[in-house]
Amino acid sequence: MTESLLPPFMFVVLAVLLFSGYPVALILGGVSLLFGAAGLMTGDFLLIEFFNIAPRIWSGVADNLILTAVPMFILMGIALERSGIAEELLKCLSLLLRRLPGALAFSVIVLGTILAAMTGIIGASVVMISVMALPMMLARSYNPALATGTVAAASTLGILIPPSIMLVMMSDLMAVSVGTMFLSAVVPGLMLSALYMVYVFAIALFQPQYAPRADVPEISAVSLVVLTLKSLIPPTALICLVLGSIFAGWASPTEAAGVGAASALLLAFARGKLSFQILTEIVENSALTSAMIFFIFIGATAFSYVFRSLGGDDVITEMIQATGLGAWGILCIIMLVVFVLGFFLDWVEITLIILPVFLPIISLMDFGAHVEGRDIIYWFAILMAVNLQTSFLTPPFGFALFYMKGAAPRGITILHIYKGIMPFVFLQLIGLTLVALFPAIALWLPRQLLN
Amino acid sequence: MPLHSYMAELRNFEMAFLLRLSHLCDQIVTSFGRLGAWAVLLLIAVTLFDVVTRRFFVLGSTRLQELEWHLHTILMMFVFGYALLKDRHVRVDLFREQFSAHTRAIVEMAGNVFILLPFCIMVLYFSFSFVSSSYEMSEVSASMTGLSHRWIIKSTLLLAFLLVLLAGLSSTIKSIDRLTDRTNPNPSAADQAKNSGHD
Repeated sequence: MTESLLPPFMFVVLAVLLFSGYPVALILGGVSLLFGAAGLMTGDFLLIEFFNIAPRIWSGVADNLILTAVPMFILMGIALERSGIAEELLKCLSLLLRRLPGALAFSVIVLGTILAAMTGIIGASVVMISVMALPMMLARSYNPALATGTVAAASTLGILIPPSIMLVMMSDLMAVSVGTMFLSAVVPGLMLSALYMVYVFAIALFQPQYAPRADVPEISAVSLVVLTLKSLIPPTALICLVLGSIFAGWASPTEAAGVGAASALLLAFARGKLSFQILTEIVENSALTSAMIFFIFIGATAFSYVFRSLGGDDVITEMIQATGLGAWGILCIIMLVVFVLGFFLDWVEITLIILPVFLPIISLMDFGAHVEGRDIIYWFAILMAVNLQTSFLTPPFGFALFYMKGAAPRGITILHIYKGIMPFVFLQLIGLTLVALFPAIALWLPRQLLN
Repeated sequence: MPLHSYMAELRNFEMAFLLRLSHLCDQIVTSFGRLGAWAVLLLIAVTLFDVVTRRFFVLGSTRLQELEWHLHTILMMFVFGYALLKDRHVRVDLFREQFSAHTRAIVEMAGNVFILLPFCIMVLYFSFSFVSSSYEMSEVSASMTGLSHRWIIKSTLLLAFLLVLLAGLSSTIKSIDRLTDRTNPNPSAADQAKNSGHD
């Protein structure tokens, strides 16, 4: 009786406490302690099991060479943000693409895609692109809703396109290869980026007043070539260095993260943007962001350990089986749960709390010939990643929308942002459906390169 | 002297002491946090060195790889408390944004006393046996060529939760100050301390 009551109750208490606004990591820890103690009294939890929590925290947060990549990828993103290459890149792209309808929106999407391939977290890129591109788009009389939607969608691609910290953490939790996970995310990421472009292109073509053609000052061909080389070579080189060395199997993701972070610092230094003061800020910000992620890791480790010890796995499996749904039905439910939780929680909490809970079910799912058994985990992870990227964009609580509201110029209301993001949320759902129906979108590239 | 003003005097005296204690906690947590943050640069340097020596000189060192996660561990364990102090840990802001400063202070204080304190004590208690057993059996790396004295790096787990505990104590004092400070319409001392400490 108690055995089946405690685990669901754990989630109820967690949900209630989360809304108090107290730090999530500590609430997770507190709830696990409370239910561990309750389990002691009902006899479902043994005192000796408390002793397992410290070693588990240790092997997750400390003695773990895979997750050592995370702080370095974070530093790489922050250093690149400070290096100022994004501004130059946007200027160059908008000159190169100036003949296209909706050139500036196009440039923003390309910029978002390139930045996504260089950084692994999105908070910084949303703010960076908003501050840079939104005033420019508004000055050229872009429709505010279209402008904000484009910026929000393009700047959240970083969570999907490798190197993505979320994919590193998922790989660690599911005990699969980070390199293969990264490879699986490349095509879906580019596909979404292409979907955005098609949409923007169609709008610019049929509703030209939404994305008016700009009178970009003509510049000589020579100076355009110089600008292109100068602004495109560093990012391209960095992407080749980091992703190329992982995909070619030359370097582990951790090694590539180290090389990438060092290169990003070197790039900022070469561009004269790296004083000691700025270096200190970069170092401290990277450390604080890493600590934020790993502190949730600690809380979630304690939480999922107690949840499992109380028989939570069985409860969830039984509940799912009681619904009588097949693999597709279960997949839809999990996607829906993740999507709804995305309204309230960040990817860190969703990945670290929900993934361990659903993992036993995922490994039992059978999609027949649609997806082979060993590929299910990668396919599922990519579906989850697209879903979580969408959760950044969904009103009313999408995090990207808030980051953007904070960085947007005056005159942009939250309603503009909500209105602008809806078509892109729709595009995300199309993308999600496509990956679900055609698993090859995710699985083709790793199969080609790894076999 | 009327009783209530006497009480106010006493309160001010006690609060002044507590706020100094809070400031001391902040300083300790901040020093460790700022120091630990630099481990990320060392981590990058060691990783680079490891990559270069392995690719080009075929040295391949288990010690270097273990040093990498040791540095990662130092980075995390030194900075957790500092991140709490800097309010960088994720919160669900949905309702919190509508809370008054008073309500937030109550939530903070209750959370610190009923969640942070027991959780830290639990982790400290069970980590202590984790570290001491490592010390007693003189644990070394599982690999022949790895680093020795594993208990030293393991004891950073204790340090981490001590620092979190200190940051929690400091935040509790600031909340008490905010909650009891009805006499003074000006920004409370905690606010001023926070503003001056914020860079």
